[in-house]
Amino acid sequence: MSQAPEARQTGFRRHGDNAFIADFSESESEVLVNLVEQIIELLAERKDSHSNDPLAVMVGITSHDSPPDDDVLLRLLPNAYADQVDASEFRRYTEATLRAKKTAHAMSMRIDLKSASDGYVEVDNEGANAWLGAMNDIRLALGVRLNVEDVSHEELEILAPDDPLRGVYAVYSWLGWLQESLIMALMDQAL
Amino acid sequence: MVKLDEKIDEAIKEIFTSDRPWITIVWDDPVNLMSYVTYVLMELFGFTREKAYELMMKVHTEGKAVVSSGSREEMEHDVARLHEFGLWATLQREDQSA
Repeated sequence: MSQAPEARQTGFRRHGDNAFIADFSESESEVLVNLVEQIIELLAERKDSHSNDPLAVMVGITSHDSPPDDDVLLRLLPNAYADQVDASEFRRYTEATLRAKKTAHAMSMRIDLKSASDGYVEVDNEGANAWLGAMNDIRLALGVRLNVEDVSHEELEILAPDDPLRGVYAVYSWLGWLQESLIMALMDQAL
Repeated sequence: MVKLDEKIDEAIKEIFTSDRPWITIVWDDPVNLMSYVTYVLMELFGFTREKAYELMMKVHTEGKAVVSSGSREEMEHDVARLHEFGLWATLQREDQSA
Protein backbone atom coordinates (compact mmCIF):
# COMPACT_ATOMS: atom_id res chain seq x y z
CA MET A 1 0.00 0.00 0.00
CA SER A 2 1.03 3.58 -0.26
CA GLN A 3 0.44 6.90 1.40
CA ALA A 4 -1.03 9.84 -0.44
CA PRO A 5 1.29 12.73 -1.27
CA GLU A 6 0.81 15.89 0.78
CA ALA A 7 -2.04 18.18 -0.06
CA ARG A 8 -1.37 21.04 -2.42
CA GLN A 9 -4.89 22.33 -2.95
CA THR A 10 -8.21 21.70 -1.28
CA GLY A 11 -9.55 18.67 -3.19
CA PHE A 12 -12.83 17.29 -1.90
CA ARG A 13 -14.34 18.65 1.28
CA ARG A 14 -17.48 17.94 3.22
CA HIS A 15 -20.43 20.20 2.66
CA GLY A 16 -23.25 19.53 5.14
CA ASP A 17 -24.50 16.10 6.17
CA ASN A 18 -24.49 14.21 2.90
CA ALA A 19 -22.58 16.25 0.34
CA PHE A 20 -18.97 16.46 -0.77
CA ILE A 21 -17.72 19.20 -3.04
CA ALA A 22 -14.69 19.94 -5.17
CA ASP A 23 -13.68 22.68 -7.58
CA PHE A 24 -11.73 21.54 -10.60
CA SER A 25 -9.92 23.72 -13.08
CA GLU A 26 -10.77 23.19 -16.72
CA SER A 27 -7.59 21.23 -17.33
CA GLU A 28 -8.13 19.06 -14.24
CA SER A 29 -11.67 18.23 -15.41
CA GLU A 30 -10.34 17.38 -18.85
CA VAL A 31 -7.72 15.04 -17.43
CA LEU A 32 -10.27 13.30 -15.19
CA VAL A 33 -12.85 12.90 -17.99
CA ASN A 34 -10.18 11.58 -20.33
CA LEU A 35 -8.97 9.00 -17.79
CA VAL A 36 -12.40 7.82 -16.73
CA GLU A 37 -13.46 7.42 -20.36
CA GLN A 38 -10.40 5.26 -20.97
CA ILE A 39 -11.46 2.98 -18.12
CA ILE A 40 -14.97 2.73 -19.59
CA GLU A 41 -13.52 1.85 -23.01
CA LEU A 42 -11.08 -0.65 -21.58
CA LEU A 43 -13.83 -2.50 -19.70
CA ALA A 44 -16.04 -2.44 -22.80
CA GLU A 45 -13.26 -4.02 -24.85
CA ARG A 46 -13.72 -7.23 -22.94
CA LYS A 47 -16.95 -8.08 -24.72
CA ASP A 48 -18.91 -11.25 -24.30
CA SER A 49 -18.96 -13.31 -27.42
CA HIS A 50 -22.02 -15.17 -26.13
CA SER A 51 -24.01 -12.04 -25.42
CA ASN A 52 -26.58 -13.09 -28.03
CA ASP A 53 -27.68 -15.88 -25.70
CA PRO A 54 -30.52 -14.17 -23.81
CA LEU A 55 -30.51 -16.62 -20.92
CA ALA A 56 -26.78 -16.22 -20.34
CA VAL A 57 -27.17 -12.46 -20.47
CA MET A 58 -30.10 -12.55 -18.06
CA VAL A 59 -28.28 -14.49 -15.36
CA GLY A 60 -25.02 -12.63 -15.95
CA ILE A 61 -22.96 -15.54 -17.27
CA THR A 62 -20.06 -14.43 -19.43
CA SER A 63 -18.18 -16.34 -22.04
CA HIS A 64 -14.98 -15.54 -20.20
CA ASP A 65 -13.57 -18.16 -17.93
CA SER A 66 -9.92 -17.34 -18.45
CA PRO A 67 -8.26 -14.26 -16.98
CA PRO A 68 -7.63 -11.25 -19.27
CA ASP A 69 -4.29 -11.23 -21.12
CA ASP A 70 -3.93 -7.50 -20.60
CA ASP A 71 -2.18 -6.71 -17.30
CA VAL A 72 -4.38 -3.71 -16.57
CA LEU A 73 -7.62 -5.64 -17.14
CA LEU A 74 -6.25 -8.49 -15.04
CA ARG A 75 -5.66 -6.09 -12.15
CA LEU A 76 -9.18 -4.66 -12.51
CA LEU A 77 -10.74 -8.12 -12.86
CA PRO A 78 -8.52 -10.35 -10.71
CA ASN A 79 -8.82 -14.04 -9.95
CA ALA A 80 -10.85 -14.84 -6.83
CA TYR A 81 -9.12 -18.17 -6.20
CA ALA A 82 -5.51 -19.30 -6.34
CA ASP A 83 -6.81 -22.53 -7.88
CA GLN A 84 -7.23 -22.04 -11.65
CA VAL A 85 -10.30 -24.27 -12.00
CA ASP A 86 -12.15 -22.52 -9.16
CA ALA A 87 -11.00 -19.13 -10.48
CA SER A 88 -12.36 -19.88 -13.96
CA GLU A 89 -15.70 -21.07 -12.62
CA PHE A 90 -16.08 -17.97 -10.44
CA ARG A 91 -15.07 -15.67 -13.30
CA ARG A 92 -17.59 -17.24 -15.65
CA TYR A 93 -20.47 -16.42 -13.30
CA THR A 94 -19.35 -13.09 -11.87
CA GLU A 95 -17.07 -11.18 -14.24
CA ALA A 96 -19.88 -9.54 -16.22
CA THR A 97 -21.38 -8.18 -12.99
CA LEU A 98 -18.01 -6.89 -11.81
CA ARG A 99 -17.43 -5.16 -15.13
CA ALA A 100 -20.91 -3.62 -14.99
CA LYS A 101 -20.31 -2.29 -11.46
CA LYS A 102 -16.94 -0.80 -12.34
CA THR A 103 -18.41 0.75 -15.49
CA ALA A 104 -21.26 2.21 -13.41
CA HIS A 105 -18.76 3.84 -11.02
CA ALA A 106 -16.86 5.31 -13.96
CA MET A 107 -20.03 6.52 -15.71
CA SER A 108 -21.22 8.17 -12.51
CA MET A 109 -17.90 10.04 -12.18
CA ARG A 110 -17.99 11.00 -15.86
CA ILE A 111 -21.53 12.40 -15.65
CA ASP A 112 -20.67 14.39 -12.50
CA LEU A 113 -17.73 15.98 -14.32
CA LYS A 114 -19.61 16.57 -17.56
CA SER A 115 -22.56 18.19 -15.85
CA ALA A 116 -20.47 20.33 -13.48
CA SER A 117 -20.68 24.06 -14.09
CA ASP A 118 -17.33 25.82 -13.79
CA GLY A 119 -15.78 22.61 -12.53
CA TYR A 120 -17.90 22.57 -9.36
CA VAL A 121 -18.66 18.95 -8.48
CA GLU A 122 -21.05 17.96 -5.70
CA VAL A 123 -21.72 14.33 -4.77
CA ASP A 124 -23.67 12.56 -2.02
CA ASN A 125 -22.35 9.57 -0.07
CA GLU A 126 -23.26 7.08 -2.79
CA GLY A 127 -21.78 9.29 -5.49
CA ALA A 128 -18.63 9.67 -3.40
CA ASN A 129 -18.23 5.89 -3.21
CA ALA A 130 -18.60 5.65 -6.99
CA TRP A 131 -15.87 8.31 -7.37
CA LEU A 132 -13.60 6.43 -4.97
CA GLY A 133 -14.06 3.17 -6.88
CA ALA A 134 -13.50 4.84 -10.25
CA MET A 135 -10.49 6.90 -9.12
CA ASN A 136 -9.02 3.75 -7.62
CA ASP A 137 -9.50 1.81 -10.86
CA ILE A 138 -7.74 4.62 -12.76
CA ARG A 139 -4.87 4.53 -10.24
CA LEU A 140 -4.66 0.72 -10.49
CA ALA A 141 -4.46 1.02 -14.29
CA LEU A 142 -1.80 3.74 -14.16
CA GLY A 143 0.04 1.78 -11.47
CA VAL A 144 0.35 -1.24 -13.75
CA ARG A 145 1.72 0.94 -16.56
CA LEU A 146 4.15 2.64 -14.15
CA ASN A 147 5.14 -0.77 -12.84
CA VAL A 148 4.80 0.42 -9.24
CA GLU A 149 5.04 -3.23 -8.19
CA ASP A 150 8.77 -3.20 -8.93
CA VAL A 151 9.73 0.44 -9.14
CA SER A 152 9.91 2.52 -5.96
CA HIS A 153 8.19 5.88 -5.55
CA GLU A 154 11.63 7.40 -5.07
CA GLU A 155 12.69 6.13 -8.49
CA LEU A 156 9.49 7.45 -10.07
CA GLU A 157 10.07 10.86 -8.47
CA ILE A 158 13.34 11.29 -10.35
CA LEU A 159 12.26 10.27 -13.86
CA ALA A 160 13.90 12.38 -16.59
CA PRO A 161 11.86 15.43 -17.70
CA ASP A 162 11.44 13.99 -21.20
CA ASP A 163 10.31 10.58 -19.95
CA PRO A 164 6.61 10.20 -20.85
CA LEU A 165 6.09 8.22 -17.65
CA ARG A 166 7.01 11.34 -15.67
CA GLY A 167 3.70 12.93 -16.68
CA VAL A 168 1.83 9.71 -15.95
CA TYR A 169 3.38 9.60 -12.50
CA ALA A 170 2.37 13.22 -11.86
CA VAL A 171 -1.26 12.38 -12.73
CA TYR A 172 -1.09 9.19 -10.63
CA SER A 173 0.18 11.16 -7.61
CA TRP A 174 -2.40 13.89 -8.05
CA LEU A 175 -5.20 11.31 -8.23
CA GLY A 176 -3.93 9.69 -5.03
CA TRP A 177 -4.06 13.04 -3.31
CA LEU A 178 -7.58 13.75 -4.66
CA GLN A 179 -8.78 10.30 -3.57
CA GLU A 180 -7.30 10.85 -0.11
CA SER A 181 -9.11 14.19 0.24
CA LEU A 182 -12.46 12.50 -0.45
CA ILE A 183 -11.70 9.66 1.98
CA MET A 184 -10.81 12.16 4.71
CA ALA A 185 -14.05 14.07 4.08
CA LEU A 186 -16.05 10.83 4.26
CA MET A 187 -14.29 9.54 7.39
CA ASP A 188 -14.81 12.87 9.04
CA GLN A 189 -18.53 12.35 8.58
CA ALA A 190 -18.36 8.75 9.75
CA LEU A 191 -16.96 9.71 13.15
CA MET B 1 -17.08 -53.37 -5.19
CA VAL B 2 -17.06 -49.62 -5.60
CA LYS B 3 -13.90 -48.14 -7.03
CA LEU B 4 -12.71 -44.77 -5.92
CA ASP B 5 -11.54 -42.59 -8.73
CA GLU B 6 -10.12 -39.13 -8.17
CA LYS B 7 -13.44 -37.35 -8.68
CA ILE B 8 -15.36 -39.47 -6.20
CA ASP B 9 -12.50 -39.21 -3.77
CA GLU B 10 -12.69 -35.43 -4.09
CA ALA B 11 -16.47 -35.41 -3.62
CA ILE B 12 -16.24 -37.57 -0.51
CA LYS B 13 -13.55 -35.33 0.90
CA GLU B 14 -15.86 -32.39 0.27
CA ILE B 15 -18.67 -34.02 2.32
CA PHE B 16 -16.42 -34.53 5.30
CA THR B 17 -14.81 -31.15 5.14
CA SER B 18 -17.80 -28.96 4.35
CA ASP B 19 -18.12 -27.75 7.93
CA ARG B 20 -14.75 -26.13 7.81
CA PRO B 21 -15.13 -22.44 7.14
CA TRP B 22 -13.90 -20.48 4.19
CA ILE B 23 -11.98 -17.26 4.56
CA THR B 24 -11.53 -14.05 2.59
CA ILE B 25 -7.97 -12.75 2.37
CA VAL B 26 -6.97 -9.21 1.38
CA TRP B 27 -3.47 -8.97 -0.12
CA ASP B 28 -1.05 -6.05 -0.03
CA ASP B 29 -0.96 -3.90 -3.12
CA PRO B 30 1.45 -1.03 -3.89
CA VAL B 31 -1.28 1.20 -5.38
CA ASN B 32 -4.15 1.17 -2.90
CA LEU B 33 -3.93 3.94 -0.32
CA MET B 34 -3.80 2.92 3.34
CA SER B 35 -6.69 5.28 4.07
CA TYR B 36 -8.70 3.81 1.18
CA VAL B 37 -8.25 0.22 2.32
CA THR B 38 -9.33 1.25 5.83
CA TYR B 39 -12.39 3.07 4.45
CA VAL B 40 -13.45 0.18 2.19
CA LEU B 41 -13.20 -2.32 5.07
CA MET B 42 -15.38 -0.02 7.20
CA GLU B 43 -17.94 0.41 4.43
CA LEU B 44 -18.21 -3.21 3.29
CA PHE B 45 -17.94 -5.02 6.61
CA GLY B 46 -19.20 -2.42 9.05
CA PHE B 47 -15.93 -2.56 11.02
CA THR B 48 -15.13 0.25 13.44
CA ARG B 49 -12.40 2.60 12.30
CA GLU B 50 -10.00 0.99 14.80
CA LYS B 51 -10.73 -2.57 13.63
CA ALA B 52 -10.46 -1.60 9.95
CA TYR B 53 -7.20 0.25 10.61
CA GLU B 54 -5.79 -2.76 12.46
CA LEU B 55 -6.63 -5.11 9.57
CA MET B 56 -5.23 -2.64 7.01
CA MET B 57 -1.97 -2.44 8.98
CA LYS B 58 -1.79 -6.26 9.06
CA VAL B 59 -2.14 -6.33 5.27
CA HIS B 60 0.46 -3.58 4.97
CA THR B 61 3.06 -5.14 7.28
CA GLU B 62 2.44 -8.88 6.81
CA GLY B 63 1.36 -8.84 3.18
CA LYS B 64 -2.13 -10.17 3.82
CA ALA B 65 -4.95 -10.44 6.36
CA VAL B 66 -8.10 -12.50 6.81
CA VAL B 67 -11.02 -10.05 6.77
CA SER B 68 -13.99 -12.45 6.99
CA SER B 69 -14.91 -16.11 7.36
CA GLY B 70 -18.02 -18.19 6.78
CA SER B 71 -19.62 -20.28 4.06
CA ARG B 72 -18.13 -20.45 0.60
CA GLU B 73 -21.06 -18.48 -0.85
CA GLU B 74 -20.64 -15.72 1.72
CA MET B 75 -16.93 -15.46 1.01
CA GLU B 76 -17.53 -15.33 -2.74
CA HIS B 77 -19.88 -12.44 -2.10
CA ASP B 78 -17.28 -10.65 0.03
CA VAL B 79 -14.53 -11.16 -2.56
CA ALA B 80 -16.78 -9.83 -5.33
CA ARG B 81 -17.51 -6.66 -3.33
CA LEU B 82 -13.82 -6.16 -2.53
CA HIS B 83 -12.98 -6.55 -6.23
CA GLU B 84 -15.66 -3.99 -7.07
CA PHE B 85 -13.66 -1.46 -5.03
CA GLY B 86 -10.30 -2.59 -6.38
CA LEU B 87 -8.91 -4.41 -3.35
CA TRP B 88 -6.92 -7.53 -4.17
CA ALA B 89 -8.82 -10.37 -2.48
CA THR B 90 -9.13 -14.15 -2.72
CA LEU B 91 -11.03 -16.84 -0.86
CA GLN B 92 -9.95 -20.27 0.30
CA ARG B 93 -10.55 -22.88 2.98
CA GLU B 94 -9.40 -21.80 6.39
CA ASP B 95 -6.70 -24.45 6.75
CA GLN B 96 -5.46 -24.29 3.18
CA SER B 97 -2.03 -22.77 2.86
CA ALA B 98 -2.03 -19.59 0.79
